Amino acid sequence: MQLERTMIQFSLNRPGLMTGLMVLITILLGTLIVQVHIDTDPENMLSEDEFVRIFHNQTKKEFNLHDVVVLGVVNEEHGQGVFNPDSLKKIHQLSTFASTLSDPDKPERSVIARNIIAPDNVDTIEQAGLGQVKFQWLMKEPPATLEEALKIRDQALANPLLNGTMVSEDGRALAIYIPITQKDFAHQVSKKLKEKIATFPAGSDQFYITGLPVAEDTFGNEMFIQMAISAPLAMIMIFLLMLVFFKKIQLIVSPMIIAVCTVISTMGLLIGTGNTLHIMSSMIPIFIMPIAVVDSIHILSEFFDEYQKIKDRRKTIEQVMQHLFKPMLFTSLTSSAGFASLALTPIPPVQAFGIFVAVGIMLAWLLTILFIPAYIMLMKEESLKNFGTTRHTDAGSDNSLINRHLRWIGKTSTTRPWWIIGFNLVVMGIGVIGIFMIQVNDNPVKWFHKSHEIRIADKVLNQHFGGTYEAYLVLSSDEPEATAVEAARWLEDTLSKNLKNTPMIREKILSQLAEAATENLPVQQMAQKLSLSWQEEIDLLDIGDDDGYDAWSHALDTLDQVRNQKQIFKRPDLLNYIITLQEYLASRGDVGKSNSIADVVKKVHQELFEGDPARFKIPKTSNAVAQTLISYQNSHKPDDLWHLITPDYTRANLWLQLRSGDNKDMERVIKDVENYLKENPAPVKLNAQWAGLTYINVAWQDKMVTGMLKSFLSSFIVVFIMMTILFRSVIWGALAMLPLTCTIVIIYGVIGLIGKDYDMPVAVLSSLTLGLAVDFAIHFLQRSRATMTRLGDWNTTVQEMFEEPGRAIARNTIVISIGFTPLLFAPLIPYQTVGVFLAVIMFYSGLATLWILPALLTVLRRWIFVSAQ
Amino acid sequence: MKLKRIILSTLFVIMMTTPLVHAEELSVDDIINRANLASYYAGDDGRADVTMTITDTQGRERKREFVILRKDKENGGEQLFFVYFKKPSDVRKMVFIVHKHLDRDDDRWLYLPALDLVKRIAASDKRTSFVGSNYLYEDVSGRRIDADRHELTQTTDQFYVLKNTPRQPGEVEFSSYTLWIDKATFLPMKTVYLDKNGKEYRVVEALEVQTFDGIPTVTVSTATDLIAGTSTLAEFKSIHYNIGLKEDVFTERYLRRPPREVRR
Repeated sequence: MQLERTMIQFSLNRPGLMTGLMVLITILLGTLIVQVHIDTDPENMLSEDEFVRIFHNQTKKEFNLHDVVVLGVVNEEHGQGVFNPDSLKKIHQLSTFASTLSDPDKPERSVIARNIIAPDNVDTIEQAGLGQVKFQWLMKEPPATLEEALKIRDQALANPLLNGTMVSEDGRALAIYIPITQKDFAHQVSKKLKEKIATFPAGSDQFYITGLPVAEDTFGNEMFIQMAISAPLAMIMIFLLMLVFFKKIQLIVSPMIIAVCTVISTMGLLIGTGNTLHIMSSMIPIFIMPIAVVDSIHILSEFFDEYQKIKDRRKTIEQVMQHLFKPMLFTSLTSSAGFASLALTPIPPVQAFGIFVAVGIMLAWLLTILFIPAYIMLMKEESLKNFGTTRHTDAGSDNSLINRHLRWIGKTSTTRPWWIIGFNLVVMGIGVIGIFMIQVNDNPVKWFHKSHEIRIADKVLNQHFGGTYEAYLVLSSDEPEATAVEAARWLEDTLSKNLKNTPMIREKILSQLAEAATENLPVQQMAQKLSLSWQEEIDLLDIGDDDGYDAWSHALDTLDQVRNQKQIFKRPDLLNYIITLQEYLASRGDVGKSNSIADVVKKVHQELFEGDPARFKIPKTSNAVAQTLISYQNSHKPDDLWHLITPDYTRANLWLQLRSGDNKDMERVIKDVENYLKENPAPVKLNAQWAGLTYINVAWQDKMVTGMLKSFLSSFIVVFIMMTILFRSVIWGALAMLPLTCTIVIIYGVIGLIGKDYDMPVAVLSSLTLGLAVDFAIHFLQRSRATMTRLGDWNTTVQEMFEEPGRAIARNTIVISIGFTPLLFAPLIPYQTVGVFLAVIMFYSGLATLWILPALLTVLRRWIFVSAQ
Repeated sequence: MKLKRIILSTLFVIMMTTPLVHAEELSVDDIINRANLASYYAGDDGRADVTMTITDTQGRERKREFVILRKDKENGGEQLFFVYFKKPSDVRKMVFIVHKHLDRDDDRWLYLPALDLVKRIAASDKRTSFVGSNYLYEDVSGRRIDADRHELTQTTDQFYVLKNTPRQPGEVEFSSYTLWIDKATFLPMKTVYLDKNGKEYRVVEALEVQTFDGIPTVTVSTATDLIAGTSTLAEFKSIHYNIGLKEDVFTERYLRRPPREVRR
């Protein structure tokens, strides 16, 4: 290859210039990193024009909903829980304190004081004696006595909107819901609250802060600390392992330099091109590092073995590069292809991740073939004198641990190939079973370790309350309005029946209706016209004409049903339907609590009738519903109604509180609602659409799972085609795909078998497996074929394969699998997952290559080597 | 409180008989009393058709249409209100009666026709919303002038500017409010409320004043919630004063069958 020669000769001739160029470019790209814009919002997993997201934002706006920080207060020691003067005083202070919070640097980030759900900021409707009702603040001032504290508790418990939301059903714990203008303010709010809590004198109150925004924002904060610790730690581990293998510090510094340059340049490119640093892209360094080191290890490993034979660094490196150039190019291309295929997923951060890891891999390749030779040239020949094995036999020493194992593997795979093939088939079979058991699930709160305060708060609060995970079910109807003719006919029927006692008025109305029906007006205009005319009739009545007044009033009331037909959520039948849906959802267990406009209507209706429990229901007519609701609007915060219904009463919001933020639980709720609506048709044909963070997470997870599968399959095919081209043989191409197929089946099989959720990091790992596992296969097959061509005998070929080439693969496997173990100590679960799986993937794909491929080659040698020759 | 009433009526008499008194000579109490009378006690009685348009941040509008009747038992003293709803259409015939007292909580009744229910509403807290609008009950029937300490902070060509601080800060959601009282009509043209942190959060403003039966009357006003971004526009039409309303109009007897006066 001309290009290959030119490139390597350039760096061999001008090693200083080469190194200088690399450092300069790295520094230039590295400076772009300072423009970093951090994005910790999982919502951005969906592209901005995604329907689900648009609808979510539209719903938040329409119903004036905000992301919420939940502050729970639990007191296990006091007999009445938190309902004692001391605890309530603290709660009052916290609520007042929270209402003042805003970001001094960005005032648009703040707490929305008026929408805080706290005892001092919610109204209670109560009986005030003598048939009176009154609206008053539940806890205007903290109570002085236990008796008053208990009264507050009882009133909160009696309010269906507060029971299970603000006050726990057992009446012992209390939660404050603090809405914030922007989700990325959550961590700050939580920090400020904790500072405030720290100023309280020691007591038996326990304070917990949770909610998806806090989890997500806190994760973002800890993520960077994590990256700053884990990535360097991983580098140190890799460095130490290489030191063990190659002993020569001077030499092994070079892969580290390549890794660092690649990571810095790639991150610079990522940020410089205007991408945000997202949870996904923050993992780019972790993914690039092993891949960047892999090629260098191949070169070094071979250089290490060959140098003492040739004793000339230039000649040695030329020979090594000649061996390795092609497989390295292909392994890099295939790894890149694996990651680049992520661009096919419909999730922007995953796309950016895939593309930039792909770019990073190619960059690492370029740097490896340019810099490693230059670096070796920059070293003095004398300093290499003791490099590698002083005696040639040492590399293949029988005492070396690696060698003994490699030879054993090599021997078994050629002498008992069917055993190995059979064994692997069984393992694959189990793996496939495991894959079918895979549970797709994710939950941002579970990104934290079980002992993390957010996990603890989540657990405690979801035990006490209806749930801190919110989802919104928006109900509406697109049923067309009755036409003017239909409406006129219905009015005729109804009024002719009901106005029998006032025949004069009845005739007047019927003739007007008959006339209106022929006028061809839109229904609302017709109704408006009739209304004005009938209103006038009322005004003209004699003052004593009670019958006339009643008749015309009744006609107008009936007409209202036509005029307000779009306002479906004033209809008692529909409100009762919503109640049964709520009851059904509560009976299913995932929804701890739900709030709807029907709850408000029931509660106000009951209080209007002296708190009579028998009146805790929806009144009989839609006018009665309307009047109940207007009574509610005489409170301190009438606008609270518009969280649950639009002011035109055409759309209702069913606010669900889930006890778990697991996507699988949310999915079950979605299914339940779907089934319920199907099996129990609503009185009006209803549209049900979802919004809320808990739902958003499900939405992007769905996209991720199908997207990942699609991108994995397409990259599998692309890599297979590349392999076929590389080996100019379909069978060899297929062989190259085998180790990675085994690895993936086993990895995902294990995930299914041990019940680990298939979540974001796990999904992304499939691409990594594809990229890395095929590398080993390429190296192994390429070298086997070359050696076989040279030696012409399979047995000696295998023996040679398990010397230097086998060692390179084994070293790689060990370096990378152990190199990432520092991630296991990360407090954030996704990084642990990545650490564990990287190790397992590397280990198993290395093993699969050295084990399965020789066994298969042994079995197939007669056919494939013939066809290759 | 009888003393108070005597003082008030005396003041009233003085004011009526000394119309040429110079503005500069008015004390804070004079100003606040005259403002109270001008805005809540015009004529002996009166009626108006009121349309309230509530607009939220999303530009969504809701309308309330009602007729309001008022009768003063004595000027600056007890008053009776009768509010008859016409819109939204499903609350038509809803009636709200207030007997305003100076020495005790008001009596309030609400009639809900669809539930055929007459309900007394406890009036311990008058700073609740008036049927979902940005006006509070206290804006409709008037805040007791002795509930605040008044301080004349500025006198401009056009206005007396008064700062008012509540005597019982725990009972209200504001820390103080400032009134701009028109020097000529004594109508409060603008009221700005400060919250507990001293930040402006609520503004009530008269946008249009017309004279009916010789009485300057606010015909268009707005109440705005600066934080929620919602506002209510109130328009007053068919305004008449001294129409001879009888006291029994303001009793439960007329809840179910509104008096003739509401119809025109």
